[in-house]
Amino acid sequence: MRPAFRARWVPWLRRGAQTAFLLLFVWLLLRTRSRDPEPPEGFLRFFFDINPLIALMTWVATRALPRAIGLAVATVLVTALLGRIFCGWICPLGTLHDAVSRLGNLLRSRLPKPNPWSPWQRSKYYLLAGLLVIAALGGQWVGVFDPIALVYRSAVTVLLPAAQYAIEKSGTAVHEADPHVGPLHATAVTEPVYRFFRDRIFVRRSQAFLQNNSIAAFLAIILLLNLYRRRFWCRYVCPLGALLGLFAVRPLLRLVNNRELCTHCGRCSLNCQGAASPEEPGEWRPWECFVCWNCSAACNPGAIQFTLAGPLRAATAARLDLSKRAVLSAGVGGVAGFLFFRLSPQAQARTYNPDLIRPPGACEENEFLRRCMKCGLCMKACPTTALHPTGLEAGVEGLWTPRLVPKIGYCEYNCNLCGQVCPTEAIQPLPIEEKRTVKIGLATVDTTRCLPYAYERQCIVCEEHCPLPNKAIYAVEKEILTRDGRTLRLLQPHVDPALCIGCGICENVCPFEDRAAIRVTSANESRHEGNQPILGGHFTTGRQRRRRRGRASSRPPQEISNGPYN
Amino acid sequence: MIRPTRREFLKNTIIAGGSLASVPLWSQAQEAPAEPLDMCIARWQGAAASAPEEIKTLATKLTEQAISALGGMKRFVSKGDVVWIKPNLAWDRTPEQAANTNPDVVAALIRMCFDAGAKTVKVGDNPCNDAQKAYPASGIEAAAKASGAEVVYLDPNRLKETAINGKVLTAWPLSSEILDTDLVINVPVVKHHRIATVTLCMKNYMGVAGRETKRNQWHQDLSTCLCDITAFMKPRLCVLDAVRVMTANGPSGGNLADVKRMDTVAAGVDIVALDALGAELLGHKPESIGTIAAGFSAGLGQIDYRKLRHKELAVT
Repeated sequence: MRPAFRARWVPWLRRGAQTAFLLLFVWLLLRTRSRDPEPPEGFLRFFFDINPLIALMTWVATRALPRAIGLAVATVLVTALLGRIFCGWICPLGTLHDAVSRLGNLLRSRLPKPNPWSPWQRSKYYLLAGLLVIAALGGQWVGVFDPIALVYRSAVTVLLPAAQYAIEKSGTAVHEADPHVGPLHATAVTEPVYRFFRDRIFVRRSQAFLQNNSIAAFLAIILLLNLYRRRFWCRYVCPLGALLGLFAVRPLLRLVNNRELCTHCGRCSLNCQGAASPEEPGEWRPWECFVCWNCSAACNPGAIQFTLAGPLRAATAARLDLSKRAVLSAGVGGVAGFLFFRLSPQAQARTYNPDLIRPPGACEENEFLRRCMKCGLCMKACPTTALHPTGLEAGVEGLWTPRLVPKIGYCEYNCNLCGQVCPTEAIQPLPIEEKRTVKIGLATVDTTRCLPYAYERQCIVCEEHCPLPNKAIYAVEKEILTRDGRTLRLLQPHVDPALCIGCGICENVCPFEDRAAIRVTSANESRHEGNQPILGGHFTTGRQRRRRRGRASSRPPQEISNGPYN
Repeated sequence: MIRPTRREFLKNTIIAGGSLASVPLWSQAQEAPAEPLDMCIARWQGAAASAPEEIKTLATKLTEQAISALGGMKRFVSKGDVVWIKPNLAWDRTPEQAANTNPDVVAALIRMCFDAGAKTVKVGDNPCNDAQKAYPASGIEAAAKASGAEVVYLDPNRLKETAINGKVLTAWPLSSEILDTDLVINVPVVKHHRIATVTLCMKNYMGVAGRETKRNQWHQDLSTCLCDITAFMKPRLCVLDAVRVMTANGPSGGNLADVKRMDTVAAGVDIVALDALGAELLGHKPESIGTIAAGFSAGLGQIDYRKLRHKELAVT
C-alpha cells in the first residue's frame, strides 16, 4: 500500500502557508527601503529569485544566465515532484485571487457555480509561447504578466500609497480637529498609531505614482474576473502558471480517484481551484492542479486521495493536449508583437525621448527593456519618490518601466538604492562612487521663465541645491535695467554640461511648480552614445561596456573635455 | 480679537506665574557683580587637533565654555522645559564636509540642557535633501541619540499655517513641532552661500518652514524674509559653530578643499551680532551682507558685536 494523503486538515495547512507567504511578501516589500548606513538585504528579492519565469525569460532575452538561478531551479524541481504547489501554496497573487474568489462565493447566496475545465485554459500556454518568442528575438514583455512582478507593481504603486494616504489624511484630520471629552483626547490613541505607520511602516513621505490608474485598473479587472471564474487569472492567463504546468505534466504527487467509492456527487470539481477535472477517474489534469487539496477534503466517501507514484508508473491522468497550430500562431503573434515594439524610431535609437530619464545605472535602452520586469521595487526604494511607471514614453514595450520625473522627486546624490534592489540588474548595482559619476540627463535653463532672466527677480535656488562638489550650476552676475529704469544686479544660473549628472534636484526645487524653469532631459545620459550633444562628452561606465555584448562601443571612455564653458 | 486657545491660556498663565514666582530669585541675582554677557566667542588655543577624537573634544569644550561664560544653560532653560535644538541639518553630507552643524556641538548643548533641568530635548530640521539620508549622514542623529535627545523627523502633515506678520511673510506654514516647545536654540554652522553670501543664524530659521512650503520663494527677497522669520522666532539663544567652516561652493559644498578649520564656537543672545561675527570669520564686512544690514536696521540686534557685553575666551 502506497502512502495516501486525504487529511481534511491539509487545506487549512495550505491556507496557513498562503498567509505566511503573503505576510512574508508584505514584510519584504516594506523592507525595501534603507536607512543609512544599512544596505538592503539580498533576501528582499526572494520572490523574484524563486521565480523560474523571470530567470528563463531574462536568460532567453539577454543570453546571459541570471545571477541567482539556484532557487528558480529548485522551484522547477519541486514542481516536477509535487505539481504546481507554487501556485496553490506560495504565490502572493494567487493568494489574493483565492481570497477574492472565496469572498465572491460567500457573497453569492446560491451554491458555487459549476466549475468545469475549459479548453480556454490552454490560452496561458500560448501566451507563454508568444512571450518566449518575443524574448528570443531580444524583446521582453513578460513583466506585464508575471504574477510576482504584477503583485509587487500593484502593491508599490497602488495599494501601499492608498493605505498611506488614508492613514495620513485621517490621522491629520483627527489631529487638527482634536476631538475630546474633558481630558480624554482622541489624539492620545490616534497619534501613536499614526506615528507607528509613519515611522515604522511607510518611512517614505507620502508616495503617489504616475500611471497608478492603469495599474490599478489592471489589478481590479483581474481580481474581479475571479467572480466570473474562480482564480481566472491563474487558470487562463498566468504565464508562470503555464511554465510550471509544463513541468507538472507527470508529477510524483498524484491524485487518484477510486472508481468504486466515487458517487459522482461533483463536490470535488465544485471545490477545485484550478478546474483540473478531479471528478473523472483518469481525466485529472495535473498541469492545471494547484494541489490545493480541496477535492480530497471535500470527498465524503474518501474516493479522492493524493498519493506518491513513481514517474514510470502508468499515467493516471489526461495528456496535455496543446494545439500545434495554436502554438505556432502564438509564435507568429510573438514575432508580430516584437516588430510592433521595435518598429519605432525611438526603439531603433534614432530619436530619444527627452522625458525618458532612466534611473542611474540603467542599461542601454533595449538591454534595459530586456531585463526590466516592471516590478516597481526601485520606485518603492527611491527616497524621494522620483521613479515612476512609464506610460508610453518608452513605447508599448516599456510600459510601466521606471523613469525619473524630476518635478516630483530627484535622484539623491549619495543614494544607489534602486540598483541595489533591482532583481534583474536592469539597473546595475553600482558602488556609490561610480553611481555619482553616471549621467542620467542634463539640466537646461529656460531663460523665458527663469526668474532672474525673465522676471527681474533674484532666485538661484537651483545652484544652492546642486549636489556636485564643484557645482554643475554656476551663477553669473548680470546687471539689468528694470522697467522703471533702475539697475539691478541679478545672479543668473548656467549649467556646465561637463559636470551636470542630471540628478534633477534643480528642477525639483525650482519655484515654478507647473513647468520648472530649469529642466532635465535625457540628453548627455551615459548609457547612450547617440544621445550626446557635447563634443567629447561621451562617457560610459566600465560595467555597461562589459555588458553590452558584441555591440559594445570600441571607443574607450574619454576624459570629459570642459569645452568652451570653463 | 484673537482669543487664546486653552493651551495658550494655560501656557501663558504658567509663564506669568513662573515669572512672578521668580522675581525674588532674580533680585538676589542682582547682587551678582556684573550683568550677564550678551555674547561669548570661544577660540581654541590648545594643541593643534587633527584626529577625530581630538576635534570632538575641542568642539565639546568650546561649546561648554562659551555657554558657561554666558551664565550657563540655566539662564535659558528652566526645570521641566521642552527644548528644541535647531541645527543646520540641511544636507546629505558628512561632518567633515561642514555642510551641517558639528554633531559634537549639538551633543554638548543637549547635555547642558538636561543638566539645566530640561524635561525633553528634541533635535530636528527640515532638510533640503531627504531627511532619511541627511540625518544619519550628518552624524547629528547618532550624537543626539547618544546624548539622550529625541531626534524628530519633521512631518509635512504637521505644518501649521502660522501668522508671522512680517513685511513680506504675513503667514506661512511652519513646523508646529518646533514651535510647540519652550525654547528653540538656533545652532547654525558658518558657511558660504551664493545668494546670501554667508549662511548663519538668521538663515538657519528657514528650516522652521518645511521643504513642502515653497520656502524657496524666500530667495526672491531673502533679507526681508529672514528678518520677518527672525522677528517671529524671537531668538533667545544662538550658538554659532565655526569649528569647520565651508568657505566656497556653499551651502551644500561637498569638496573638502573648501572646508577650513577655524576651531571657534560663539554663543549669544543677539542674533545679528553673532551673524556679524560669522561674516567676519568668512572675510566679509557685516555691513556688506544684506541680511545682517537689514536685521540691524529692523532692530533685531547690534551689527557691531564689539559694542555688546562680550568676551573672547581662549580655550585649551
